[in-house]
Amino acid sequence: MNQAQLESFVGYLKKENWAVFGPSKLATGKSESVEISPYLAAHGKVSKEQPPVFIGHLDQPGDLILDQRLPFYSFKKFFFPEKETLFDYRNNLLAEQDHRHKVALVGVNLLDLKAINLYDQVFEKDKYYQARRRNIFIIGHAIVPEIEDNIFEYKYEEEVLEHLPFDVFLATSTANNFKVFTGSIKGQRVLEAFGHADYEHIQYSGAVKEKDKDKRMEEIEKSLVNRHNQKTWYELGKRCLECGKCTLICPTCFCFRIDDIPTAKNCGQRQRCWDSCFFREFSEVAGGHKFLKSPAERIHFWYYHKFVRIPEEFDFIGCVGCRRCAKVCPVDIDIFEVLKEIENS
Amino acid sequence: MHNSYHSESAKITAISWQTNNVKLFRFEFERKVFGHSLKIKPGQFMELSLPGFGEAPFAPCNATGSGCIELCIRSTGRLTEKLHAMKIGDKVGLRGPYGNGWPVVADNKLPLAKQNLLIIVGGLGFVPLRTLILGKEKFLGKESKVQIFYGARSPDDMLFRHEYGTWKKQNIEVVLTIDKESTNWRGNIGLVTSLFDKVVLNENSTAFLCGPPVMYRSVLEKLLERKFEEDEIFLSLERRMHCGIGVCQHCAVGPYYTCKHGPIFSWTQLKNIPSAI
Repeated sequence: MNQAQLESFVGYLKKENWAVFGPSKLATGKSESVEISPYLAAHGKVSKEQPPVFIGHLDQPGDLILDQRLPFYSFKKFFFPEKETLFDYRNNLLAEQDHRHKVALVGVNLLDLKAINLYDQVFEKDKYYQARRRNIFIIGHAIVPEIEDNIFEYKYEEEVLEHLPFDVFLATSTANNFKVFTGSIKGQRVLEAFGHADYEHIQYSGAVKEKDKDKRMEEIEKSLVNRHNQKTWYELGKRCLECGKCTLICPTCFCFRIDDIPTAKNCGQRQRCWDSCFFREFSEVAGGHKFLKSPAERIHFWYYHKFVRIPEEFDFIGCVGCRRCAKVCPVDIDIFEVLKEIENS
Repeated sequence: MHNSYHSESAKITAISWQTNNVKLFRFEFERKVFGHSLKIKPGQFMELSLPGFGEAPFAPCNATGSGCIELCIRSTGRLTEKLHAMKIGDKVGLRGPYGNGWPVVADNKLPLAKQNLLIIVGGLGFVPLRTLILGKEKFLGKESKVQIFYGARSPDDMLFRHEYGTWKKQNIEVVLTIDKESTNWRGNIGLVTSLFDKVVLNENSTAFLCGPPVMYRSVLEKLLERKFEEDEIFLSLERRMHCGIGVCQHCAVGPYYTCKHGPIFSWTQLKNIPSAI
C-alpha cells in the first residue's frame, strides 16, 4: 500500500461513517502547547525536541502524520474516556446509557497498542467498555528496518505483532510503502470491502509471549514487594507536587471514580471519570481517615500498581515505556531513572 | 451483556434506631426472585445506591437466607444522611454481594479444630459479624464456643444490645467495655485490649477483628503475645471503594483489592504491607 492508497483508505473509512482519528497536524487546541514549569526552567531542563504531534480528527486524509514521534497524548481516551455517563437518573430510576459511535484510529504506535492490551484485560467485563470497543477500528503503524531478509520479518511477526491488538497494521520501511497486515476478521472484512487484497493475516495470540517471562519485570516486582527502596519513595515524595499530570497522560493509568452529577432537580447522571492516586482524597473513607497518608506513600502506590499489581493480575508489566509521564512532570521525575534506582537497590 | 453497575431496586420495610446516629434498615427486593436467590456470606458487602447521592459499601448484618437485607448505618456523610431521612416504603438500589467473607467451618476455610472464635470488635466494626453470630451453628458448628470483646464509646453506643441475652444462651460470651466512665455502667472501662487481662480466653480459638484502624495494632500485639498464629488472625479492612469489583484501584492494599480479595485478610497476608492498617 502506498501513501495515496492509504489516503484513499482513510477517505473510504470516512465515507463508511467511521469517525477517523490519528496523529495529525491539527493540534486539538492552541492551549496545548507545552509549558515549562519554573522548576524545569531553573534547572535548565528545556526540551529541544521537535514540536509534539496531537491526535485529532482527520478532516482530510492528508492531515495524517505517520512518523516516529509519539503523539503528545496517548489513544487512551478513545477506549476509556475521561468522563462517561453510566446512567441517567430521574428521581429514583436509573436508565442505562448507550454508547455507539464508530471510531477508526489510524497510526496507533506500538506502545499505545500495548496499552490497549491492558484496557482489554481490565475492562473485560465492563459493558460500557465492550460496547465502545466493538465499534473501534484500530490501524496500527510502525517504522521498521528494511524488511529484506525473511528471518527478521518472521521474528517481527512472532515477537511483536502477534501480541498486539489491531485490526490492520501498517509496517513501513520506506516513506511511501506500507506492508499491510490484518489482526482480526473485522480488519480483513474492512480491507476487502475497500478493495485491498494484498495483506497477510496475523493470528493474535495473547498479550504475553509464553516462553520467556520478562526477567526485568520480575526483578522490579521483587524489589518493590520486598521494600528494598524505602529511601527512594521518601526522596520522591519530597519532590512530587501531586499534580496528577503523569496519571492523566499515562496510557496505562485507569483509576476512576463514580459520581452522581445533578443536571436538574431530582435528575442527573451517574458518571465515571478518571481519578488520580496522587490526589489526597483518593484513599479517604467516611469520617475522614486517609490510608495513603503522604506523597511518598501515594507515589509508591502508583509504582506498585504498575510494577506489582498489574504483573500479578495479567502477567505483563503495567508500563509501556512511552516516558510521557517524565515529559509532563513539572519537577523532572523520570520513570526510567526511578526504575533504575529500584533495580539497583 | 451483564452490567456490573446495575443495582437491584429494594424497598425499606423496617427502620429501627440502634444508637443516636445509627439506624438498622431492612430492605426487601422488588424482584423477589432476586432476593431469594441471593447468597451472602458473613463479612461480604453490598453497594447501596441512591441516585443523586452516589454509592457506598455496607456489610449486611442479618441472618442469611431470609430474602431481605439488613444494613446498620451511621449517619456520617451525604449519602448516609439522606438515607437516615428516608421512610418505610422508600427505595434504594443494591448490588453485590462482593468480597470473600469470614473464613468459616461450613466453607472448609476454617479447620474444625479451630472452630472456637474470639471476636474483637470496636464501634461499628460489630456490624459485619452479626450475620456470623446469628448463624453460629450453621457456620461454625454446634460445639464452637464464641467470645466477643466489644468496645464502644458509651453504653448508648452499643449496637445490637438487646440481643446479647439471647446470644449468651448459645455458648456466646459477650464481654463489653466502654471508653469512659458512665453512670449506671458496671462493666469494664478502658480499651478493648484491657479485656485480655480480665477474661480467660478459650483454647483453640481463631481471632476475627473488625474496628477502626487504631484498634488493630494494639489488639494484634495482644493476640501475638497470647500465641495466636499469624494465619489464625483475620481482619476486615475498610477502604474507599467506587466500583466494588476490583477495577477502580481505590481500595488497593499492596497486591490485593479489598473489594475482591478481601475485605477479610489474614494477618499473614497483611503484615508486610505498609499502611495496610
